[in-house]
Amino acid sequence: MRFFQSIRWRLQLWHGVMLALVLTGFGVTAWRLDRATLFQRADQDLERRVAVIAGAIRGDGAPGRPPQAQARPPQDRPPQDRPPRDRPPQDRPDFGTRQAPRPDAPEPDPDASVSDTAAEIAVYYVAWDADGRELLRSALAPGDVPRPERVAGQRATRLRGALREYIHFTPRGECILVGRDISTELAGLRRFAVLLAGAGSAVFAIGLAVGWWISTRALRPIAGISATAARISTGDLTQRIPIADSGSELDDLARVLNDTFARLQASFDRQAQFTADASHELRTPVTVVLTQTQNALARERSAADYRDSLASCQRAAQRMRRLTESLLTLARLDSGNTADRSLCELDRVAADAIDLLRPLAQQQDVTLSADLLPARCEGHAEQLGQVVANLVSNALYYNRPGGTVQVSVSSGPDAAVLSVHDTGLGIAPDDLPHIFERFYRADIARSSAAGRTGLGLAITKSIVDAHGGSIKVVSTPGKGSTFTVRLPAGPSVPA
Amino acid sequence: MRVLIIEDEADLLASLAKALREEGYAVDTAADGEEGLYKAQSWDYDVILLDVMLPRLDGWTILHRLRESKKTPVLMLTARDAARDRVRGLDTGADDYMVKPFDLEELLARLRALIRRAAGQTRNVIDIGEVVMDIAARRVTRAGQPVALTAREYALVEFLALRRGEVVTRTALYEHLFDEDDNTLSNLLDVHVSNLRKKLGAEFITTHRGHGYSIT
Repeated sequence: MRFFQSIRWRLQLWHGVMLALVLTGFGVTAWRLDRATLFQRADQDLERRVAVIAGAIRGDGAPGRPPQAQARPPQDRPPQDRPPRDRPPQDRPDFGTRQAPRPDAPEPDPDASVSDTAAEIAVYYVAWDADGRELLRSALAPGDVPRPERVAGQRATRLRGALREYIHFTPRGECILVGRDISTELAGLRRFAVLLAGAGSAVFAIGLAVGWWISTRALRPIAGISATAARISTGDLTQRIPIADSGSELDDLARVLNDTFARLQASFDRQAQFTADASHELRTPVTVVLTQTQNALARERSAADYRDSLASCQRAAQRMRRLTESLLTLARLDSGNTADRSLCELDRVAADAIDLLRPLAQQQDVTLSADLLPARCEGHAEQLGQVVANLVSNALYYNRPGGTVQVSVSSGPDAAVLSVHDTGLGIAPDDLPHIFERFYRADIARSSAAGRTGLGLAITKSIVDAHGGSIKVVSTPGKGSTFTVRLPAGPSVPA
Repeated sequence: MRVLIIEDEADLLASLAKALREEGYAVDTAADGEEGLYKAQSWDYDVILLDVMLPRLDGWTILHRLRESKKTPVLMLTARDAARDRVRGLDTGADDYMVKPFDLEELLARLRALIRRAAGQTRNVIDIGEVVMDIAARRVTRAGQPVALTAREYALVEFLALRRGEVVTRTALYEHLFDEDDNTLSNLLDVHVSNLRKKLGAEFITTHRGHGYSIT
């Protein structure tokens, strides 16, 4: 199986690609959100500290600011549970909200007032004046903090390795940088990324597996259908697709296919039966020819004997000719060729056919009468003539000496009607349902019409069916039969 | 040997009857099932040729009804050649089966074989003293010399030879050597016996006065 032409593989590929895109998009978004939140939180913390330092730098100009604030800039404040690396400031810059420190009150912790967690993180700061001279530098600040270039706006942030730095430019041109190590948070972010990747891969794998399972289940009936169809194509028409009754669309397909196979099989069986019947019908005349010739050639014979043999062979050959002509007619009708249709005047078609049968009527000592009213139908004149000829010759053959055959043609509201009534032998009720079958011969008919093909009525019915008409028979054994043919009417006769 | 042919195809019936008569058989014919069954039940035929597809009564029914009363050998003729049909024919009691179209020579050979088997003979050659009969070749020799016999004479010898040791009544001989259409003079049999004694030896056929004839 070529992978990319297999529906299943294409489904799987499409499904996989979509799943991967969705999972990647989701993971990346979640990671970026988390990262942005992390930076935002760190930046907010740093911003608060910048405000403190900015206040300290601005201190001299600020009203009500205590002078010691100038002298004692804020100090980095290490976590209180850690061994002090950097002494906490003895005094804190004023935020302007307080007019003066209250000696009686405990010194408020400005870090605690802005962030509880920040207290545990080492924060450093550096401040430069407008000319780039360092104004302040905390003890914890790394030595290589570069002075940031002035940027548009008052604030900026940057990330140097694991150090997050918040930069503030005062209106007077000083630059305050507060930074801190965020490696713990970054490590957390990496763990989160790994977690996302892991979970995403797991979901991807599960999704692929489930998709494979679903497509396998969905496509399994197709494998069954194609296996069955393959067996049928090798000639075993009895095969059928098993239907699971799962209610899926494939069940309907299987049902439709099974119906088709059943119809195919019926048609093949009919064809096989027909061929077998045709061959059986040919066997008898062939036997006559063989027996006659072998017997005639066995010894020297008189001219009269030879003549008898030849006459017998001729009758057999004529019977075979009638049979093959009938078979050919049926084969043509079966192929459903509806060309050469034209407007026919059924009464004239019937009159022509009846004229040809008058000698037979005389020979059978049967009175043949016709009552033909104008009637039109769309059809093949020669075939319709055959319908009339078949019905009338049957009526003549299966009649009694001195009997009658009445043919009538009339025009109904939407049909041209042909009716053939005879005073003949009639048809036994057991035979009635079968008389239009190919090669079916009522027992009583076999004895009285040797040499008939057994296809006449089958051909008649095929022609009528091909014209979209119907044929019906009413029969009383011993009294006679009436065949009625209705053919869809053509355009009405102009008045 | 008397044969009944039941066949509805007139030309085939006529040509089979003609061919069998030329082989020395007495031939009766029937063109439909009812007539065929009636004749088959009324006479002791040596063999019956039975077509399957027949008007009024089909071959299966005839065979089935015939087997209720008679053991007459039956050779079925049919246009149907499916194995199933052949099995059905043989199982219903047919002794042999031929599919149309058949070879006339083969049909005649099968008829001879059926008649021979019905008489309990397994060989085609019967030795009667210095007279030797070849049933297959329909030839009689006396002391190695071929003897020319008419079809009727041959049939008479064959009938008696197949029932060697039995006394065959004159009635039985009439029934098996002449068909329904023969209006034979009653002394014709004596003429044939007398001719055979001239050709094959005076002792060849024994007359049992008041009973019939035999070959020992």
